[in-house]
Amino acid sequence: MGAPLAWGAVTPEVWFLLAGLAVLLLAWAGWTLTRLRRLEVRVDRAWTTLDAQLQRRAALAEELARCHPAALGEEHAARLAAAAGEARTAGAGDRELAENGLGRALRELPGDLPGVPAALRTELAGTATRVVLARRFYNDAVRDTRELRGRRLTVLTRVHAGRPLPRFFDIDDRLGAVASSTDGAGRTHE
Amino acid sequence: MDRPVRIGIVCPYQWDVPGGVQYHVRDLAETLRGMGHHVEVLTPAEREESLTDPWLTFAGRTVPVPYNGSMASVQFGPVSAARVRRWLREGHFDVVHVHDPAPPSVGLLVCMMAEGPIVATFHAAAVRSKWLAAWGPVIRPWLEKISGRIAVSDFARRLQVEHLGGDAVIIPNGVHVQAFSAGPPFAGHTRGVDGPTIGFVGRYREPRKGLPVLLEAMRAVVRAHPGAQLLVAGRGDAGEFRELVGEDLRPHVQLLGELSEADKAAFLRSVDVYCAPNLLGESFGVILIEALAAGAPIVASDLDAFASVLEGGTAGVLVPRGDARALARALTALLADPARRAELAARGPAVAAAYDWAVVARRILAVYETVLPPGGGEVTAGDEPAGGAAELTVDPRPARDAADRLTRWARR
Repeated sequence: MGAPLAWGAVTPEVWFLLAGLAVLLLAWAGWTLTRLRRLEVRVDRAWTTLDAQLQRRAALAEELARCHPAALGEEHAARLAAAAGEARTAGAGDRELAENGLGRALRELPGDLPGVPAALRTELAGTATRVVLARRFYNDAVRDTRELRGRRLTVLTRVHAGRPLPRFFDIDDRLGAVASSTDGAGRTHE
Repeated sequence: MDRPVRIGIVCPYQWDVPGGVQYHVRDLAETLRGMGHHVEVLTPAEREESLTDPWLTFAGRTVPVPYNGSMASVQFGPVSAARVRRWLREGHFDVVHVHDPAPPSVGLLVCMMAEGPIVATFHAAAVRSKWLAAWGPVIRPWLEKISGRIAVSDFARRLQVEHLGGDAVIIPNGVHVQAFSAGPPFAGHTRGVDGPTIGFVGRYREPRKGLPVLLEAMRAVVRAHPGAQLLVAGRGDAGEFRELVGEDLRPHVQLLGELSEADKAAFLRSVDVYCAPNLLGESFGVILIEALAAGAPIVASDLDAFASVLEGGTAGVLVPRGDARALARALTALLADPARRAELAARGPAVAAAYDWAVVARRILAVYETVLPPGGGEVTAGDEPAGGAAELTVDPRPARDAADRLTRWARR
């Protein structure tokens, strides 16, 4: 007969404790949700920029191959045109491979391109720098997101669990390096 | 960049106190303005009157907090927050550039409040690893809002990756190469005319600057070059310095005290060899770049940062750190070899050119451009420093029900 009495006496405290925990959990989940939403915007923005820079690079490469085949040499021009075309049409899955191909084709070009307008060369060099920056910032945003999404409490509370996990975009974008013969396909996935 | 950008730069350290980050912000702001961009700077200061330029906004005073033997400045609270918010709202910036956002200062407040593209530069000038390890996770939610991170050196980048998450692009500190490469020599010490001189810049009391090693090396150097003089430029007490130098070396060592920027440039243009015997630390060797620009042949210890500035030892002589005998050998040999000195002096300005502010500012501008949204839009200030945590209304229903609701909300 003592048990129900004790149970009854404890209940308010247990409820109190439970409510307190729930409030803490809610506050934490709300804060995490805010962070994840912010990160989602950051990832989206970074991807838009990266995508734009890659497309710009492909367009410039195409222009270079089309308008100045003599300066590049027929073989280089053909390869560059093919790589640029592939980069522009590749689906999401093959994008990294195609961009790697284009990057390699660009690096393999002869150092001095006689007859190619300086403006085009400067712009190409500029996009190369921008691709490096944009990719770094995109992967940075992805890393921050994945780190937070991978936390045990985030997984347990299923905050943002329905959203797709952003993927790293990994291409070989070494600057200024003229490709050597050992320059393989590069890593495509992290 | 085709159109002018509106840039808001935040310096967390007092503007009227000399310091590397302050100089960096000042020179960056001036260079960007020279390129036709709109730049405003928010900074604390000891005295509000010392912020004379109209593009400087006073962010209040910092509170000095003794930390680990030196003073860290802290600035946090509703008054500072209000100032930061007003600056953000009135500035209509395309991008906000925060320097050293980790300490509890206006930089961190800006990260908390700003909505829009934020760029941050990590200088890691005064941060200690231990402090960052504990503090990093606390501020991480706000550092996550930074779209583009810059580190001034590989050392600064490693610190940031380790403790604050994310990666950073390395863009080194800038130097006004022109100010160092051309100008009058230091009175009484013209290079190649007056006796051979070795220069050292820095506070002699800081052991990590390595002056004791250099003094020990000097004893061997003066045996080979009896006329050699060591010129020390830096703050300090003359009596204490005499003690440190010792009886035998006194005729060969001269304390010049702290030099103005112009005098420092003249000093570097005048010494026959510049020596940087640092033992550790030093996230970035600005002084080496200044010496390179001034055409001073350099002997430096083989710290990573120094080796990278001196291009692995081709732009200057590298010696093992803390090794007085190796340092003495290198200094003696270089003083005895005018051809090598001339070769290094000729190469210096070319190496320094990569660090000229015009070049560095253009690289930083490329970072701004990369984080700007394609459609435009400006940085605004959120009402809540926490950045919208108030969205969540707490509901006293039992945990299970609330968790269900939360899951649904989270999937939304």
